[in-house]
Formats: sequence, structure tokens, C-alpha cells
Amino acid sequence: MDAPHYVAARVQRALAEDERTVELGIRVDVRGSQIFLRGRVSAPERRLLIEDVAREAAPGLSVHNEITLVEVREPGEEEHL
Amino acid sequence: MTQTRIAAVADIHMGEDLRGHFRPKLHGIEHRADVLLVGGDLTRHGTVAEGRVVADELRDLPIPVIAVLGNHDYHSDAEQAITSIMRDAGVTVLDDEATVMSLNGATLGVVGGKGFGGGFAGKCASEFGEPETKAFVRHTRQIADRWRQALHGLDTDHRIVLSHYSPVKDTLMGEPTEIYPFLGSYLLAEAADEEGADLIVHGHAHLGTEKGLTPGGIQVRNVAVPVIGSAYTVYCMNGA
Ligand SMILES: [Fe+2]
Ligand SMILES: [Fe+2]
Repeated sequence: MDAPHYVAARVQRALAEDERTVELGIRVDVRGSQIFLRGRVSAPERRLLIEDVAREAAPGLSVHNEITLVEVREPGEEEHL
Repeated sequence: MTQTRIAAVADIHMGEDLRGHFRPKLHGIEHRADVLLVGGDLTRHGTVAEGRVVADELRDLPIPVIAVLGNHDYHSDAEQAITSIMRDAGVTVLDDEATVMSLNGATLGVVGGKGFGGGFAGKCASEFGEPETKAFVRHTRQIADRWRQALHGLDTDHRIVLSHYSPVKDTLMGEPTEIYPFLGSYLLAEAADEEGADLIVHGHAHLGTEKGLTPGGIQVRNVAVPVIGSAYTVYCMNGA
């Protein structure tokens, strides 16, 4: 089995370079046979695509998708500089 | 006293799947702000099709829109086409240049461009060694030089720098420190500190933090959507 370090790197690279995801802002952590994905994206479909791409890049590992959806709220209080 | 109200956002990363999602969030923006700044990563893949989605989301807003591109907008080598599409939609797209406008009787100058990486003083790359390394650092230095010149030529009440990459580390807090050299460069801050500015707005660091300061004391704001959690944030500057 590949060292966790290389698995994480491979997944990270797949997420950045795969045309389905092109996500650079996702943290990938490998612990034993588990992969943890963390970050924030703006659509539920993107969240699932990231999981798909990660699973393909690291077959056999269980993927924990802890990516959250960015809730784009109404703008809050203005800041006076 | 008159105020200039700056709305800012970055990293909207539009694609066909998000068509029509962003525009409704801008409804009523003219009551909250006088101008909207968009700090790059307008698209995900940098395709012409995605550029059209962005243009449609930003078209005919009741306030002026000023944008720069981000690294994602360069991914498909269509940055020129995206720029043209945005300009046709009435958006001012800055590529290491300045624009000046009058808002509420005060003049505002915005110098903008995507910026680039290299890292931060003491922990950064330098123009030394292989041609690839030199080219990387030179790209940032040339951008900073163009910003310096553009700022130097501005004689406005307020001056803002609009970037995609970060000029400081402060607003990267939350990102892994190992990738800071790919998230920004101190050369961008240095140019602004030398010539003076009231505010630097950027994006790119999705896991970063909103507020920071340059070594020279210029306010820096990271307005990436995942950071601000809203369609835009408004910063107010007191009149001239
Ligand atoms: Fe981005
Ligand atoms: Fe970016």
C-alpha cells in the first residue's frame, strides 16, 4: 500500500487537475484506510463530484466527505474603514 | 459627510451549474454600495462558455462593476476572450492598469490586475537559478512595477488596489503555510505601500481570513466568497 502521504498528494492533485472538479481549496488528510475531505464549495453537485474524483484517485479507501456548502447570505453590516 | 461605499467579492467561480444563482443576490446593491469590485476567479475552468455565464450575472447592474481575472480564468488560455466578453457586458476589466471614476462627488481610482505568487518577505522565492524560477518571480515583480506606475499616476480622493492574489500573509490565515508562496507575494504590498492606497482587496485564498494590514498600514480585505460567506461585503470610506 502507498504511504498515506503520497495518497493524499495524489488525491489533491486529482482534485486540482480533473476537469470535473478543478478544486484547489480542498484539504485532503489520509489516516490509515480513511480519507478526509475538508473545505467549502458553492454547490451540492460540486461537493459530490469532489467525492467521486477522490474515490477514483484512491480506490479501496473509505472517503469521509466533510466538505460544507458555502451559504451565500445577504451582505451583512458594512465596515467603516 | 459624503461616503464612498465599496462592495467587493472574489472567487464567484461561475459555471453553467451556477447560472442565475449569483445575480439575485445582487438585487438592491445600488442602495448599499456605489461600485462593485470583483477580485478574480470569475470562472472554474476559464472557458469562454463560463465567461458568458459571468458576464450575464454581472450585466447591466445599476452601479459600475470593476473586475480582474484570477488563475482559474487563465486555465483554458481564453483570458483575452473572457476579458472581451466581460467588457461587452459593461464590466471594466483591469489588467495591470488604473481606472478613475467619480462617485458622490469624490473621485475613486482603482488599480487592478490578477497579481501573482512568490511568497512573503524572508520566506520567498527570488530571481535566482533556473530560468523557470526566475520567470516565476519576474512575473510578480513586473506586475508590481506596473501597479506602482499606475498608482503613481492616480490623483484621486481614494485609491484602491484590486487583486486576485494576496499582498500579505494576514489574510491567508487558515491556509496551510506550505502553500503561501502560491497564494501571494509581498511585492504586491510593497508597491502599494510605496505609492499609497486606502485599501487592497483580493481573493484566491478560500480558506483564509477577511482582514489584514500591509507593513505600511494599508487595510487588506480577502473577499473570497467562502471567506465572507455572502455575495459581497461593503467597505465605506469617508469623503474627501
Ligand atoms: Fe478561487
Ligand atoms: Fe484563485
